[in-house]
Amino acid sequence: MSKLVWLCYFISLYSFAHPVIYKDGTVVSSSNMPSYSDNQVMYSWSNRWSSGINHWRFTKGKNNTDMGFLKLNHLLYRYNGDDSQANFYVHGGVGIADSEIERRQTNEAFMTGAEGDWETRTLYTSLKHYYFTSPQVTDLAMTQARVGFAPYEAEFEQIQTWFMLQAMYMPDVESEVIITPLLRFFYKNVLWELGSSTRAEWMINVMVHY
Amino acid sequence: MKKTLILALLVLSPTIFAKEIKVNVQGMICSLCSQGVQKKLSKVPGVIKSAFQLGKKEGDVKILPSVVITTEGDNDLDDKFINKLINEAGYNVASIERK
Repeated sequence: MSKLVWLCYFISLYSFAHPVIYKDGTVVSSSNMPSYSDNQVMYSWSNRWSSGINHWRFTKGKNNTDMGFLKLNHLLYRYNGDDSQANFYVHGGVGIADSEIERRQTNEAFMTGAEGDWETRTLYTSLKHYYFTSPQVTDLAMTQARVGFAPYEAEFEQIQTWFMLQAMYMPDVESEVIITPLLRFFYKNVLWELGSSTRAEWMINVMVHY
Repeated sequence: MKKTLILALLVLSPTIFAKEIKVNVQGMICSLCSQGVQKKLSKVPGVIKSAFQLGKKEGDVKILPSVVITTEGDNDLDDKFINKLINEAGYNVASIERK
């Protein structure tokens, strides 16, 4: 079973998260910090639904909890304004978990989550919460909030730069809220982010739309 | 001479026979958004240009009507079809202007 978790991990490694995009579009994303990583490949079969594979790794000390999921995402609400956009997504997934933190065994795992964002071309806010459970292994939760601003408005052929601040709370992994200032860049269909937390932990995220 | 004329007609035909459509889109705020819209439109046979400007919130779409074949089998990009494509990309059409 753990081989399957690793397979999900390596498939998705080469690939942050826009869970649902345009019909027939694929998103490959990878979000990484020392305490966690989230890698996924999602195919949008409509402008409201997408599904794919998702691997999460939570690291506590030197021990990891790996979870691989078949995930379903639904864009429950979208607001398209003249100068802004707002989205609310819900997620669900079934898969397997392998943890070194609680017990070293592989078992079925489930995830659920919700996230919302509101953005203009120069302002960004988002909030997301995920809950992971594996009855025989462990339960994990993650809450992440972000605010950001862009100092200029770029066109498709130009690099767009954002300054962002991320607050993340994972009570089962870290007792403190991790605050991470980061830089976000957009160029055509590629988004990448680089950050360093107030505790000097690196963060690298990449997302590509195909 | 005949060959030259045919060649010139072939080269110039996209300019001479092309129709231009301006599409104003709501909700399109980043390059990832416009990439999706451009991709949907550029997949339609006969669409020879699909360029969206985020600042103006609008796109220039150039088509060769005789070549266009929509999934409905039409030889023109009517407003209904453009609306469908933009909605599939996740956005709303505010207005469509034909030149």
